[in-house]
Amino acid sequence: MANDREVLREIWDGKLPICFQLAQEEIMEIQQPDPFYVMVPRLSYFPLVTDKMKRHFLRYISQENADNEMWLDYNGQPLKWHYPIGFLYDLYCGHDPQLPWNLTVHFMKFPEEILLRCPNKDVVEAHFMSTIKEADVLKHRGQVMSTMQKKDHNQLWLGLQNDKFDQFWAINRRLMESHGDSEGFKHIPIKIYSDDGVCNQRLVSPKNTDGSRKTLQQMITELYPDKSNVKLRTHGVVIPHDTPLQWLSEHLSYPDNFLHLCVF
Amino acid sequence: MSSNSLLFSINNEGKVYALSTSGSCWREFMYLGLEFKTLSAVPHHLWAVGGDRQIYLHVHGLEIPIRVREESYENERWLPLEGFSGRLLPTDRYHFSSQDGTKDRSIDRIRLPSMAWQWEGDWQLELTLDGQPLDHDGWTYAVDFPAQFGSNKQWKSCVRRRKWIRYRKFSAMNSWCAIAPLHKDPTQEPFIDVSIGGIQIPYASPGTLSVWAITSHGRVMYRAGVSTTSPEGLKWINISIPPNCDIKQISVGPTGLVWALLWTGRAIVRKGITKDCPTGEGWMEVKSPNETKLISLSVGYNAVWAVSSDTRVWFRKGVEGNGAGVSESAALGSGWLEITGNMSHISVGINDQVFAIGDSDKSIYWRSGITPAEQTGKRWRRVQANMQLSRTSSSASVVSSNSNAKHHSLSMLNESTTERKSHINLHNSWEESHSAPIEHTLPIKPKEANKKRNENTENIDLTGKSYETTLKNPRAWSPVRSVGSVVGMEAQPDSDSSVFDVDSGMFFDDEVSQTAWGTCETMWAFVEAGACSVDVMQIPHWFSDSQNAFNMDLTSKWRIEVLDRLKNRNSNQKLDLSIYGVAVEEKGWTRSCEARLINGIHTSEDCILSLYWHDLENIGTLSVFQPDGTINFILNLGEVTSVINTSEPGCPRLTLSFPHLNKISIKIQFISEMEQEEWQNVLVDITSQINGLTGKPSANSVWAISNSGDVLNWDPMPAKLNTSKNGRYTKEFQVFGKDIMSGVTTPLHNNFPPGSSLKITGCLHDVLDRFYINLQGPEVKKQRHKIEKEVTEIPLHFNVRFDQVTVVCNTKVSGNWGSEERHKLPLAPGQEFCIQIVCDVKGFKILLNDEHYCSFEHRVRPETITSVDVQGPLRLFSMEYSTTNVIIGADEMYWRMIGGYLRRVESCQNGVVWGISHDHRVWVYTGGWGGGVLKGVGSKDGIHSMTDTQTYCVYENQRWNPLSGYTSTGLPTDRHMWSDITGRLKRTREHTKLLNRHWHWISEWMIDYNTQGGVDSDGWQYATDFPAPYHGKKVFTDCVRRRRWYRKAQIVTEGPWIRAGNTALLDISLWATGDEVSVWAITLAGDAIYRTGVTVSTPAGAHWEHVNNPQPLVAISTCNQIVWVVGRKGELYYREDISKENPSGSKWKLIELPKYNYPYSQKSSFGAKTVSLTTTSAWVILSNGAIAVRSNISRNQQDGKEWNHLTECDLTFKQISAIEHEVWAVTTEGIIQRRLGVTDENPVGTTWQPIHSGNLVHVSARGVCLQ
Repeated sequence: MANDREVLREIWDGKLPICFQLAQEEIMEIQQPDPFYVMVPRLSYFPLVTDKMKRHFLRYISQENADNEMWLDYNGQPLKWHYPIGFLYDLYCGHDPQLPWNLTVHFMKFPEEILLRCPNKDVVEAHFMSTIKEADVLKHRGQVMSTMQKKDHNQLWLGLQNDKFDQFWAINRRLMESHGDSEGFKHIPIKIYSDDGVCNQRLVSPKNTDGSRKTLQQMITELYPDKSNVKLRTHGVVIPHDTPLQWLSEHLSYPDNFLHLCVF
Repeated sequence: MSSNSLLFSINNEGKVYALSTSGSCWREFMYLGLEFKTLSAVPHHLWAVGGDRQIYLHVHGLEIPIRVREESYENERWLPLEGFSGRLLPTDRYHFSSQDGTKDRSIDRIRLPSMAWQWEGDWQLELTLDGQPLDHDGWTYAVDFPAQFGSNKQWKSCVRRRKWIRYRKFSAMNSWCAIAPLHKDPTQEPFIDVSIGGIQIPYASPGTLSVWAITSHGRVMYRAGVSTTSPEGLKWINISIPPNCDIKQISVGPTGLVWALLWTGRAIVRKGITKDCPTGEGWMEVKSPNETKLISLSVGYNAVWAVSSDTRVWFRKGVEGNGAGVSESAALGSGWLEITGNMSHISVGINDQVFAIGDSDKSIYWRSGITPAEQTGKRWRRVQANMQLSRTSSSASVVSSNSNAKHHSLSMLNESTTERKSHINLHNSWEESHSAPIEHTLPIKPKEANKKRNENTENIDLTGKSYETTLKNPRAWSPVRSVGSVVGMEAQPDSDSSVFDVDSGMFFDDEVSQTAWGTCETMWAFVEAGACSVDVMQIPHWFSDSQNAFNMDLTSKWRIEVLDRLKNRNSNQKLDLSIYGVAVEEKGWTRSCEARLINGIHTSEDCILSLYWHDLENIGTLSVFQPDGTINFILNLGEVTSVINTSEPGCPRLTLSFPHLNKISIKIQFISEMEQEEWQNVLVDITSQINGLTGKPSANSVWAISNSGDVLNWDPMPAKLNTSKNGRYTKEFQVFGKDIMSGVTTPLHNNFPPGSSLKITGCLHDVLDRFYINLQGPEVKKQRHKIEKEVTEIPLHFNVRFDQVTVVCNTKVSGNWGSEERHKLPLAPGQEFCIQIVCDVKGFKILLNDEHYCSFEHRVRPETITSVDVQGPLRLFSMEYSTTNVIIGADEMYWRMIGGYLRRVESCQNGVVWGISHDHRVWVYTGGWGGGVLKGVGSKDGIHSMTDTQTYCVYENQRWNPLSGYTSTGLPTDRHMWSDITGRLKRTREHTKLLNRHWHWISEWMIDYNTQGGVDSDGWQYATDFPAPYHGKKVFTDCVRRRRWYRKAQIVTEGPWIRAGNTALLDISLWATGDEVSVWAITLAGDAIYRTGVTVSTPAGAHWEHVNNPQPLVAISTCNQIVWVVGRKGELYYREDISKENPSGSKWKLIELPKYNYPYSQKSSFGAKTVSLTTTSAWVILSNGAIAVRSNISRNQQDGKEWNHLTECDLTFKQISAIEHEVWAVTTEGIIQRRLGVTDENPVGTTWQPIHSGNLVHVSARGVCLQ
């Protein structure tokens, strides 16, 4: 059970100051647009928080590009909208944290080969819900999601979209419960990324073969038997190696129910 | 955690250990040089077979001693010459007899049943009759014996009698107590097994127990007379067994069902065990599972578990405890089911939870997941509790037992017996051995006893301490001589009582001295779960899996590291965050559903509810639409004062109160219970946020319990902080736009004592003749030709008369005007004005437009003012009222739901709060908020699982007719043939429904054989007609009969409450001095007890101390070290000489009852029902619901001086709570009323102010402090 409310709240309230700037080559006006400063929830997705920013910059670009899909880059690296914002920051900026996070806004030259198209928020919702379902399959063989009603699914999404902790956790609590007899999930929904952004997803059990709780260190030894000094970062912090995986999954998962960890 | 119970076990050394469900360490029993072979337990009672093959009894964990009251009536008859004498007619009863005269009860022949008992003082006379004092000899008089006895001697009084009472006490508490062997030589027929059970034998009277044992000769013995008031029983009775049956183990289930295991590995079952025949009728054989021999079995409520010699585990299907006495198949079950796991021993506990000892590792396992629906559970979980390192290794103990007479080993006991054999003239038959030694042989410490007797001759104080110190002389006991000889007396409190020292509730720090406990692996030989109640919802901290380790997670290093790093994520970057916009626009959120609006009892309309909530702006509204979408009304959630669950079975409902508006409250019925709970949760959450309330309420808040068991709290603190201005509190009334022409009356919540003031601004109409401002008392009902309401007391009448060009000030007393004081007219029509009325000690000062206008001396005390009335052709702009106390109207009192399910709640001024549930269990408030329906409101801190049990009763009524005897066809005028107790309402078993899904039945419908008045063998009670006294024996004149059916239901919920002690209570009262709290209570049996060690930091206290009382009590109240109690017959007592040094006081003194002619009844005197004490007065509710106030109570005059009555109202009350000048009460209709105008001079106050109209059952204002 995810019942450490203090940690959950701290995770939920994590925010990043971001400074958006329009790409120089796209400015069509004489006057330089002001950068757009905004505090963004780490747990959210870019398409959910960029409406205002987009409106701010639309005046400065050529009208023919106004209907194009907007995309972002950091240091020339296009940002994938389907990852949580906090994770993207940890991935690209985690080793050398710089605040605010300076991102460049583009309306042209959409990098089709790198990014998925995101015509509207429904696509984000569909992606979000399917990730939660995937996580539930790992945790409870999908039993929790299938017993939920449509309105519960909706509440999860609205809770995230409107940044409502209680609304979200009222439902998410059920997803974070251990089921049946066993204490702990069947598997831990976990995605580990090396600094080049390559994702490594493995089946990880929350327990050792002797039934004791598996710690982060034990998982690292399993996954990287040859590396000695592996550190993992998520939500902007380095996770102590003796943290139990089950607890980590219950408390430090992103709203999509996955642990997104960055190796460094 | 909600309850403490113990799991017992024996290790491979024969030492006994106990593991509490609220602890996590095995604690060792004091080692007395005696190993144990087997154990059998029910809560508080432990029977064991020792290494010497004798049987021992251990009674423990009872917070108040087992006391039995012996009574004897001394009868005398008046003879012409001698007057009254003990010489009676031959047809009369015995000189000393039982109450009905049928039994000889000579005082000198009433003896202690065994050496385990001690007299508590000497024989005493009862000096009251029905609450009225008798003369010093206690005689009551009558015409003849089977007649009504009265207190006065009359010319026709031919007989008299008086009642002698004496209490005896079970003194062998917390010690092993040897049960006499079967023969003079204990080695002749030793025991091999013993089993106790029978705590839930269907229909049996409460306290019944059943003990069976096996001797080495293979005989089966039943112990007669064992009960909770007679733990050691009377004697062994041999039960015959079928031939060729050699029994090695026996097990008694909670319902009395007995299974025995033969050496051949087969089992036999005793059939026909019922409440009337506890020994059963015969044996039946059970087939063993295929080709296996059973080696261990254990009987539960609806389950029998066994282990076979090949270590396989078996569950017996189809066993049904309730029916086992009457149905063979229910006792036998239908077949064996193999369960995974390899075990060597098994034990079934309360709720059919199963514990076993693993075959290979000799660890103890618990079968998880056992529920009534899934009786075989899911899997075995290993119990991993720390061990208390043995205090006495087996070798060391021999030394200690030699040096310490207290710790006698059994071998020594036996030696001493053989030595003394010649002196004791023992009867050969074991059945005689229960004759107890008479009192004089008891080795009471002479010094102590003498001292006590000198100090206080009429009341020998035995409040539970002294019995521990007696019986110290080890030579006094011998196991052969008596049933109840004591092996080791009360353990040394500093070291040894620790086994049972788990009672201190949440503040008991199990891990205090971690060093004393090790984690060494123990080889267990035996486990006994009969007293162990595992809460499946909240399992004990015995298992080292993640779920239970959660508490440890909170303090573990990695968790703190993670949290610290999270908190400091952005801190090293210095940023001006003000330029950053918010990414997610704060939006309010909405919720809506379809529901029904309940208007009256039978009318309702469909509606759509829509809730809007914006947490940043802290605004919430609830809109009620008609189904077609038109708005019915919109409610500002800030004006809601309470959200209460008012469900009825099948109708999930909520009631919202908002006294601001004319409607006062709305009742909403939801489509489903789930929806109702969600809405309740959301509404409580939002309204609490709007009122700025969270977490623990302040110490000075008022607590209440609603009809549905919800705990409500009103906290004056926020209002106190908001309105305070240099110690003055000001309130502005909403008067703008009100129609003054017909008069506006506004209540002044704090009356108008000196120091109060009222400021009124407004504008006069252009044309007007008069207007007035009245500072007035309450409306009273006047009965002239019809009942009408009138204000009879107007301490200040300020009348501005333009027609007479003058201003008149006057006073109305008892409906009559006094003499007028006239002043010149200062105002002109159409003028704006500002009138200020200031009350000081002498009189009222009236200021007009900030200039002194006139004064008016008090003719009546200004405290009697309860409202202001303004009437005339003018417009009011503002009305401001300020006093020295917090001004809080009922419309501003937000009653927050705290969580939990209770029947009573009691608070005191330092924030310690205790509660009592319907099943009389006691709970202490943990400081949390939420639980149960309130899911997300508070944190999980302090929230524990709670259960409560209620009994549903229906009466089956029958009428006799000459043809067919008793049938269920009554006369047309009769009550329903299935009814409630009054007969007015139809109640059937089939239609009795549970309130909501949190309740479940825990029994079937059963006939109640313990109904008051007695019943026959089928549970019937007879009477001549329905509304008449019922009796258990049918006589010729009886035309009707009835019997009571009952069924028990249990609620499982959560709340910020934790169990405190396991003594069942009727009433409780708290009073705080600084951090300490004195807690007095009445037990279910009617005894007075007080709790030691209750402070703010340890609200659950340490343990109960018992205080002797003459009569069974029902209610109690304490204040300023004065204690008043109410007896069962309505009499009132106070306790003398209570002080800090002597918290138990010395003796009870009777208080005269109020006598007066109550205007609404003919009876002149009523007994008391409940009482609430303040430092100077006692508020007593009488049996007719009226209130009497005893005033002038002080430390020197603890029973006060005179009775006062509230005459101005005809409200009747069921409960009252008073402290200082605050008096709050609940009327019989369930409305909370607050008494206004209570002062030192006027202790009865002036009027009631309705506070909350919800259906409430209890209020406690004992923490309130509004100054």
